[in-house]
Parts: sequence; C-alpha cells; structure tokens
Amino acid sequence: MSVAESMDKLIDDEMLVSQFQAGRQNAFDELMKRYKSKIFSYLLRSVRNYEDAEDITIEVFFKAYRALENWQPKAKFSTWLYKIAANLAIDYHRAKARHPVYALEDMEIPEANLVATDQYSNPVKEVEEQELGRIIREAVDQLSPKQKSVFILNRYEGLQLKEVAETLGMAEGTVKIHLHRAMKRLQTLLQPLWENNEI
Amino acid sequence: MPRCNKSEGHAIDYASKLLSTAEAEAFERHLKRCSDCNKAVESFTTLLNLTDMAEKEVLLPEVALQDIEMNVYKRLAATQEVSVLSRLWSYLTNFAFLFQWQRIAAAGTAVIVLITTAVLVSELRQPKVELQLSDSQSADARIEQYLQQDIQRNLDDAMITRHLRNDAWETDSRLQRVKEQVEGTNWVKFANALTDTNITQAAAKGY
Ligand SMILES: [Zn+2]
Repeated sequence: MSVAESMDKLIDDEMLVSQFQAGRQNAFDELMKRYKSKIFSYLLRSVRNYEDAEDITIEVFFKAYRALENWQPKAKFSTWLYKIAANLAIDYHRAKARHPVYALEDMEIPEANLVATDQYSNPVKEVEEQELGRIIREAVDQLSPKQKSVFILNRYEGLQLKEVAETLGMAEGTVKIHLHRAMKRLQTLLQPLWENNEI
Repeated sequence: MPRCNKSEGHAIDYASKLLSTAEAEAFERHLKRCSDCNKAVESFTTLLNLTDMAEKEVLLPEVALQDIEMNVYKRLAATQEVSVLSRLWSYLTNFAFLFQWQRIAAAGTAVIVLITTAVLVSELRQPKVELQLSDSQSADARIEQYLQQDIQRNLDDAMITRHLRNDAWETDSRLQRVKEQVEGTNWVKFANALTDTNITQAAAKGY
C-alpha cells in the first residue's frame, strides 16, 4: 500500500462527504471506489442478475450524488448508501412480481456463469458442488424479501443489526425477528441435505 | 424443536455470533448440560457454513465494476447537469494521467469526451435504456430496446478499449461493429460522428 493509499484510508467517509459538499468532486470518486464492490455484490445477491445489479448500482450512486449535497450525517454514510440500494432492490422485486411474464429468460445469468469453476480437477465433484451451491442459493431466494434483505445485509455485507435496522427502516427487534425466521426457514429447506448425508 | 425452555433464538444468535461476550459465555455454560440446545447450535452452524460457502461462489464481474464510475457520470450527464459534464471530462482525463499515457492519448480522450459531451447535451442524446420492460411493449419495441442496449454496450466497449486499454485497432473494430448495427436507426449520426473523426487512426500514428 502506498503512502497516499494509507492516507486515503485515514479519511473517513463522512469527511469525504463534507469535502464533496464543499465542492471537492474527487471525494465522490473516492466514495464510489470504496463502495462500488459492496453495493454491487449486495445487489447481485438480491436480484441474481448481473445486468440488473449493474444498472441498479449505477442508479444508487446517481441518486447518492444528487442527494449528497443536502445530506446530514444522522447515520453512517455507508448505511445511507445501503438504504438507497435496499429501496431500489425492493422496487425491482415489486416490478418483477407485477410483470412476471416479462421476466425474460435470456436476461437471467446461467447459473454456471455465476460461480467460480477453475479450482477443481474433478469434474464430477465440480458439478456436484455447483449443484449444491445452486440449491442453497435458491433456498435463500425463497425467503421473504424482508427476511432475505436482513440475512444478506447482516451475513454477507457485515452490517450490525442496528445498521440493518437503519438501512431497512425497521426496529432492531423486528430485524432480529426476521433474521430468526430466515434461519428457521433455511433450516427447514436445507436440513434434508445434511440429514440424508448428501453432503 | 428443543424441549429446553430456552428459545431457539438463543441458538441462532449464538451460531450467528450476535451475542455479547457475557451472553455467549452464559449460553456456553448452558450448552454443557443441554443436548437440545447443542443440537440446535450444531444445526444452525452447519446451515451458516453452507450458505456462506454458496454465497462466496458468487463472482463479481471485474469489467462491470471498472465501468461503474464512468456510467454514473454518463447517467448524470444524461440528465443535463452541466457541472457533471465537466466532471466526466476530468474523470476521463484523470485516467490519462493515472496510466501515464502519451499526450496523443490524452488528446484522443479529449476529442471523444467533447463528442460525447456534445452528443449528450444535443438532440442526439442516447436513448435512455429502461431497467424494466413495460407490459404494454410490443415484441418489436422490445427487440429495438435490446438492439439499443447492445449498441450502447459496444459504444461503451469502444470507449473502454480507447481510454482504459489504449487499443486503437480494437476501438476501430468495435466502432465499425456499431456502425453496422445502427444502420437505419437514430444512432447513425452518433456513430458517424465517432468514426469519421479518425481519432483512433490519428492516435495510432502517435505511437
Ligand atoms: Zn437448552
């Protein structure tokens, strides 16, 4: 890590926001650099489609850019950014539920393209593991939208329950209830896998 | 499931590492003498290991990530926020310094940015690509939309090969592909403007 890079890490997000508000545009580039992977991966897990995840990621930063001028640091910048992403993901799922007929097949990513494939030498094992991964991701996708959001934000984006609550506009207790329900549901869906010694 | 009077929530919170140190220690003492809770913890831990493994396999496409910033500025530029157009300019030219390209590359960048800027603010503005297809859209309209998305992608690729990879030959071939695609559409003027300036050939002579 260069000196400049380590210096960058010392500047916290909220400081970058005030720099941006004071007219230093580069600060927004730095914020995008810091969060684009996180927001993209969150959205990819939520919508399970590269193109849509990319479009929504762009939309998140587009909205953030326009709203940042008047942003007040009531919560962490990252929580606010996830909140924009979570709302757009909800809109996406709603629109998709309303027009299921138009969810065109060719817009979906073939499962094989979604996962890493190179580190195995045993093709049978590779296919089995990919299949297992697919089954597990499908189970996560079967959670209710709120359960899935809570589970992904806490488990994969590493947000504290308090931050998840702020992101989704829920009480912390409600977040915990959704998380418990998510885990119970996943257990019901996936327990046969290890009870039948399939793994 | 557990007949023990502790709720399953304790096991979930413990497996998910959501308990405070004191709470976790107290629960561990309980685990020593409760097989129900032990089974529950084991089950939820297995579950979390599985979901962690499955989600870690999900790959982020590096190319898409490279383009996020540029696409955000393009999106802002498309809403005609003039200050943002200058921002797109400086973003692209910053790249030139970052990779220490030859002056000609920076000049090429500037020309493309000027054209892009002009196009974005003029009536030639690129058709907005909708995230969702509306239910009233005919098959023809949908095909048109996909064609436009494809053209947009090729144009983006051309920009990327030009600016990020500085590959004049690849840029030319991509622009040529765009030209073929846009025949008979409202993109013709846009593609001609890009290819007729011979930016890429000029840049190629520079090195
Ligand atoms: Zn117990």
